[in-house]
Amino acid sequence: MPMLNWPRVARFTVNIILFVMPVFMVSCAFVSDDDVKQPIAYNHRVHIENAGLKCQECHLYVETMASATLPSIEICRTCHETAPLSESQEELALLKYVSEEKEIPWVNIYQVPDHVYFSHRRHVVGGELECSACHGMVSAMTAPVTSAFLEVTMENCMDCHRSKNVSNDCLSCHR
Amino acid sequence: MAKWAMAIDLDRCTGCGACMAACKMENNVPIVEPDEALQGRVMHWMDMITEYGGDYPGIEIKRMPKPCFHCDNPPCTRVCPVGATYRNEEGLVAQVYHRCIGCRYCMVACPFTAKVFNWKDPAWIEGASTCFNPDVSRRMVGVVEKCTFCSHRLMKVKETADEEDRPINDGEYVPACAEICPADAIYFGDIEDKGSSVYKMSGDYRASRVMEDLGVEPKVYYLVKRTR
Amino acid sequence: MEIKRRDFIKLVGGTSVSLAVGGCAMDEVLEIPDRLIHRVRTGPGIETWKNTICGLCPGGCGISVRMVDGLPVSIRGNPHYPVNLGGMCSLGLNALHMLYHPDRLKGPMKRTANPGSGRWEPITWDEALKIIAERLTELRGGQKSRQVAVLGYDERGLMEQHIARFMKAYGSPNYFRFSPSQNDMVPHSLLHGHSRIPAYDFLNAKLIVSFGSNFLGEGYSPVYYTKLYSHHRELQTQYIQVESRMSLTAANADKWVPIRPGTYGALALGIAYVLIREELYDARFVGGSTFGFEDWADRSGSRHLGFRSIVLGNYYPEKVSEITGVPTAAILELGRLLGNTPKSLVLGDGGAVDNTNGTFAQMAVQSLNALLGNYEAEGGVFFTDQAPVRPLPDVEVDAVAAAGSRSEPLTSSRDVPFPLSDFSIESFAKNILADSPYPLSVLFLYHGNPLFQTLNHLDFAGALKKIPLVVSFDSIINETSEYAHLILPEHTFLESWGEISDVPTVGFSHFGIQQPVVEPLHDTRGTGDVFTELARRVGGTVKSAAAFTDYREEVRYAAEGLFRSGQGAVVAKGQKQPWIEFLQRRGWQTGRYATFDEFWEQLLLNGGWWNPARKKKNLDELFTTPSGKFEFFSQRLNSEFNRLLLKLDETGSSRNLESVLSRLNISARGDNAMMPHHEAVPYEGDRPMYLVTFQVMPNRDGAGAALPLMQELFGYSVHSPWESWAEIHPETAAAAGVSNDDWVWVESSIGNVRVKAKITPGIMPDVVAIPFGMGHTSYGRYARGHGVNPNTIMRNLHDLVSGKPALEATKVRISRTS
Repeated sequence: MPMLNWPRVARFTVNIILFVMPVFMVSCAFVSDDDVKQPIAYNHRVHIENAGLKCQECHLYVETMASATLPSIEICRTCHETAPLSESQEELALLKYVSEEKEIPWVNIYQVPDHVYFSHRRHVVGGELECSACHGMVSAMTAPVTSAFLEVTMENCMDCHRSKNVSNDCLSCHR
Repeated sequence: MAKWAMAIDLDRCTGCGACMAACKMENNVPIVEPDEALQGRVMHWMDMITEYGGDYPGIEIKRMPKPCFHCDNPPCTRVCPVGATYRNEEGLVAQVYHRCIGCRYCMVACPFTAKVFNWKDPAWIEGASTCFNPDVSRRMVGVVEKCTFCSHRLMKVKETADEEDRPINDGEYVPACAEICPADAIYFGDIEDKGSSVYKMSGDYRASRVMEDLGVEPKVYYLVKRTR
Repeated sequence: MEIKRRDFIKLVGGTSVSLAVGGCAMDEVLEIPDRLIHRVRTGPGIETWKNTICGLCPGGCGISVRMVDGLPVSIRGNPHYPVNLGGMCSLGLNALHMLYHPDRLKGPMKRTANPGSGRWEPITWDEALKIIAERLTELRGGQKSRQVAVLGYDERGLMEQHIARFMKAYGSPNYFRFSPSQNDMVPHSLLHGHSRIPAYDFLNAKLIVSFGSNFLGEGYSPVYYTKLYSHHRELQTQYIQVESRMSLTAANADKWVPIRPGTYGALALGIAYVLIREELYDARFVGGSTFGFEDWADRSGSRHLGFRSIVLGNYYPEKVSEITGVPTAAILELGRLLGNTPKSLVLGDGGAVDNTNGTFAQMAVQSLNALLGNYEAEGGVFFTDQAPVRPLPDVEVDAVAAAGSRSEPLTSSRDVPFPLSDFSIESFAKNILADSPYPLSVLFLYHGNPLFQTLNHLDFAGALKKIPLVVSFDSIINETSEYAHLILPEHTFLESWGEISDVPTVGFSHFGIQQPVVEPLHDTRGTGDVFTELARRVGGTVKSAAAFTDYREEVRYAAEGLFRSGQGAVVAKGQKQPWIEFLQRRGWQTGRYATFDEFWEQLLLNGGWWNPARKKKNLDELFTTPSGKFEFFSQRLNSEFNRLLLKLDETGSSRNLESVLSRLNISARGDNAMMPHHEAVPYEGDRPMYLVTFQVMPNRDGAGAALPLMQELFGYSVHSPWESWAEIHPETAAAAGVSNDDWVWVESSIGNVRVKAKITPGIMPDVVAIPFGMGHTSYGRYARGHGVNPNTIMRNLHDLVSGKPALEATKVRISRTS
């Protein structure tokens, strides 16, 4: 039934213009907001190069769960217990959080909307993707993340799925 | 490719309504305000039909749980002007909430009235304390929704099965209604898999589908003794 | 519309909070503490399951609570728990809404104005307990410990013992329970000698005739029976339901036999007539294990008519047909079917027993099981063993406690009525109002909602007003706790320790463990711990009731008995009854636990213990009646009447049995009164319709009304969300000019209610049925102001013997509202 395809294409295009685009625009506008200020000037490079930490040592569940998770204060505490390890002012700020047993209010940059099921486990373990594919060269970052390397957009998801020959059926991701 | 289907044994089903509650809890289906509800705007993905038959005192009441039938030839998808409802390769009829413009053509097209409409912002009635299932997104005013065969469960089951490099076992992916049915009346699985319980049930002498003459090929089979 | 949509899109892009949890404004809607919300927002979405037992009805289903990062998000059945095998009912599935209910009390409250004013102020636990403990100490000091009462509800097992121990050590005889099933055991005790509710071997029965027992919808454990029923559909077991209204069970039965309300006993005796006349009864059982079947002579030589003579003389089918409205042919057919089908079973409940003649009707129904020789027979009636829990240590009783406990309980009636009831709210209210035999100073209300659930609301409300200190443990203020002075809110069952074991009518002994699945959301406490704390504060020998550090320790202590018994097994995957029985016959240990600690760990992990292997009993050890047999002529009832006769003697009234019977409003005379018989219900003649009520699965005893989802599902069978309705037969509706969904008045001599008419052929033409559970005037924002409570228009009548509320003894008239 190839004739049916034309209206479908047309519908799809109309849809993208009418509904999907605003979603992209709004979400792009949000995530690339330069005003994002993280509570602590976290330095990924120091932790990876100097302290020799692996991604999954702080983002604990990256290989086992849907969400990789931002580290809780308990994870920071394993190294930063009492005495500072550096002369950084930022570490003092961290130690304050640790001593007060308060979680650090990180601003979450990579947010997937609730109608999407995104599983780190599936992408990292099953899909064998490198973290850098979406998050960039984190090991070189000296400042905390304030904008997304790869914007969380359906277009970006689908491009990659297409190139890797992974299903783009709505129900593969949308719930 | 799997093809997901359901069989409901009405001889076992008592009509207790547990499937309706399980569905509402699993899928974050809104509870509408009481006055709205009385206007017929109650939202059930899994509804219950009551049929009366016989002459007094030989009355027969049969209650029939009714989810979306996920037709193989679905009439609802053809009328959607924006491609917000479609049938995927595994036979699931999906509803894409963010494409839906709320025209409700699909509700009219569905012969089984399986779809419901969000007339209001789903505030779950004022102050409602509802614990949401994190696996299912909540819908918004002006969109149509319906039973998904709990397809969010399928995503996770697939992930695990792929990880372990094996096919999905029969009974590994079942919707919430089938899981908790106290009468074990709901069978669910891959109807293309000849070893599955739903395949066996769909071939039972008691099995039939609702309004088969319409040609929409529902994938929900009802089992009931022919004599009743 | 356009703008709203755009707003929404912003929302999607802007404020989604977490990958794992799809809630965008969850904290605004949920009553979840910030600490938990934070955990869920930043957590990995780790899914865990914890097993416990549902506490929303007495059914005791095993449930698995699904938690994401420690926050309960949904409930499913525990697939290995033998009562429900993974099945659930709608109410249990909705239990989390009770946990997160916005009207739950966040901490103890003290009432500051009149009852019903809704004016409460928070009070600390310490202050509240201090007020109560001081009052308790003061009363005890003045030798007035008996002036303290606890009105419980449906608690059984450990919690019942826990409160009883407190009351014993403190020194009061006034611990009562008033649940709807209260006094259910009275007719059984008259026939069997002991107060145990029998279980039925559904699994092996081939024909099940139920007199009014809506076991699929209203029994002790509907899910258990639903499992059995659906299993039976493959075995071609036949179900026949005798009931005035087509209940859930009747709708699923193979045959529905409509019967006039209040006449179930007559039908049972009509069937007995057929069995006896056509010699279809089990002569061996009747001859060897029953008392009073044939005519007999007592020690003084007086002759008494036996059951056979009475039935043959009074309950011939034509007469029974006239009483019951069941055609003669149907009575004959039922009798012959029962007599000729091996493994046929009879049970009675619901409408059959919820009437003024309920005790006699249940006796008549159970007599059929005796005639059929069903006791200890395959597919018959049996009494389950009790789970071998470790008995709690004795409490110390000082002189004050001993004197207090010996006092006459406040429920015993000055007047004669209800000779055998454990508790009658009727007598209780009257005694409180009359300060007789002594005033009541402190009342604890534990669970239940008597002002909503009982018939004589006004009397009991007056009594509550009179009591100087009323303490409730409710977590949502309801009609009854509006009258409390203090509320000490209890944890929900999802936050507390407990056990639900040996649910009546479930066919094997079992022990289900309730454990907290989440830390308490609010400043609430377990009531077990509150009584322990009060015992400590009162001090002295009362402290002996506080032998355990907390209620968890007490549950653990009791569970040790299961381990020590060496019987049964912790429920686990793949355990099927025959396998366990096989292992136990061979003397193999079925559990894999060497120590009690391991056993306890397994118990918590899997949710419970059970013992499906039951040793068959001999018939002569079955009954504990004076004759040691099943008594068609109840000697216990006879001696009870004689006791009342002596009591009347003291007051100088006339001195014969007849005077006792007439004081009890029993119309039968002579031996008939001690035997199963049909006792006519005193219906009023001027109204044409019988009013019957029923419970629906999403509501049960009225408790489900607090939950919005259950209110929406309340009338799922007739599409009547959030609203009560009246079921009316099409002919009746046509005669009254009523169409479907019309508003009608249902009017009794007591009052009227306005309900929507639902026209259904599944009801007798002269019966109108209204569901129970709606019509709350309190109990939170979702319960209040929806539907009607049919109990408010019922006559204040009770079972003549047991004092159970007579829920089908009122006649009404219906008319369209104009």
